[in-house]
Amino acid sequence: MPDKDDKIKSALDIALERAQRLGAPSEDEKRRLKEEELAAAGEALVKRYLSGLPLRDIDAELARHAEDERETVKRHLLSNLLDRIDVRRGAADEKVLTAIEHLTGDAGTVQAIGKLMKEYNGALEKAQLEKQGALREAKLNELKLKGISGSAVEPAVESSAEWLETQRSLESQYRERLDELKRKCRNQ
Amino acid sequence: MHLVDNFYAYLWPGVTMQEMQMYGNNSNSYLVASVLPQDKHVLVDPGMITNEARQNCLDRLISEITADGFKIEDIGLIINTHAHPDHYGASEAIRKMSGASVAIGKGDDEFLKLAEGEAAQVLKQMGFEFPELNPDFYLTEGELRLGENCVAEIIQTPGHSEGHISIYWPDSKVFMGGDLIFYGSTGRVDIPGGSAKALKASIERVAQLDIEYILTGHQYGSPGIIAGKEAIERNFEMIRKYIYPYL
Repeated sequence: MPDKDDKIKSALDIALERAQRLGAPSEDEKRRLKEEELAAAGEALVKRYLSGLPLRDIDAELARHAEDERETVKRHLLSNLLDRIDVRRGAADEKVLTAIEHLTGDAGTVQAIGKLMKEYNGALEKAQLEKQGALREAKLNELKLKGISGSAVEPAVESSAEWLETQRSLESQYRERLDELKRKCRNQ
Repeated sequence: MHLVDNFYAYLWPGVTMQEMQMYGNNSNSYLVASVLPQDKHVLVDPGMITNEARQNCLDRLISEITADGFKIEDIGLIINTHAHPDHYGASEAIRKMSGASVAIGKGDDEFLKLAEGEAAQVLKQMGFEFPELNPDFYLTEGELRLGENCVAEIIQTPGHSEGHISIYWPDSKVFMGGDLIFYGSTGRVDIPGGSAKALKASIERVAQLDIEYILTGHQYGSPGIIAGKEAIERNFEMIRKYIYPYL
């Protein structure tokens, strides 16, 4: 007969015992875990907003957090929105810009971001028109010298080293200006 | 293996049951000899470097090409019928050895881009890996002129993949169909980008051509080359009757 205290332990009992043996988390660890939790809340709020949550409800959702946590969630929310604007992604999403303006109250900087992204797209299109035509011709001539021609041949200009370099140079030029504007928003 | 005129076939084993048990997957490769300036050759579907059974597919191809009196360094153009790794996998390696230009169907470039994203996860689960491929040019429906005298027709044949192309050589009545049709069967349509409807339409288009040799992408338990108009017509009939209903 097994002793009364010698009961079979459940998985939960074992897990709790092990957790106890690990000891309580340090203050730093607690802060890190809390920060992760609030960052996840900010990210989730962005996803919900982009899926249809009205802008006014963002304020309501933020208000549900304790006062000392609210700013952290808001910071992550803003950061997540700003990360969604990048020269690689093309035009800035109006919905994202609206939310950033709502959170920062800085219409001027947000407008400057939208304007910069449009400017970048214009510069990219211009370079495409100017450079890709010339690169296409050069590639067709190069192939012709190798004995390859015909109506079925379409040079892969956008993956050519020359075009990728042009694109990279434009991106870095505009990204620098974009990052400056983003910094301004983050510091609001 | 010499086929006809300046066409050579390098068939990956897989006709008999014994071969099928012994060999992993790889595509058949075809060479069109000396059609480019300086006696350079065109290679269609170079296959893989090594396959899932760790068999050295590229080494085997090089040794077979060499046995026919050609050098891998003399490949001037590599044409890939589609962007599945068992067909294009060795393209960049052969480009390094020969300086060859590399081409693929326009639509399959999108597939390659997708391969960097979510689709890659699905395909990796299906056992595909994606070697690098940086095409010099795309091939669309139209005429491909090679050197002074050789003309091929590029036919867009979607179905097995979205940007799948086939190459028809009218002078020799040779059709290179990648994974469009096999002996008694067709390419699968369950890989992302595949479409049964598009495959049937592509096959029906090809059935209108005047073909003496169909060079297929694989020997899945049956010969990789279908020769002779009657055999080819019978094959189309067989596919319509026994394969179409299950696509």
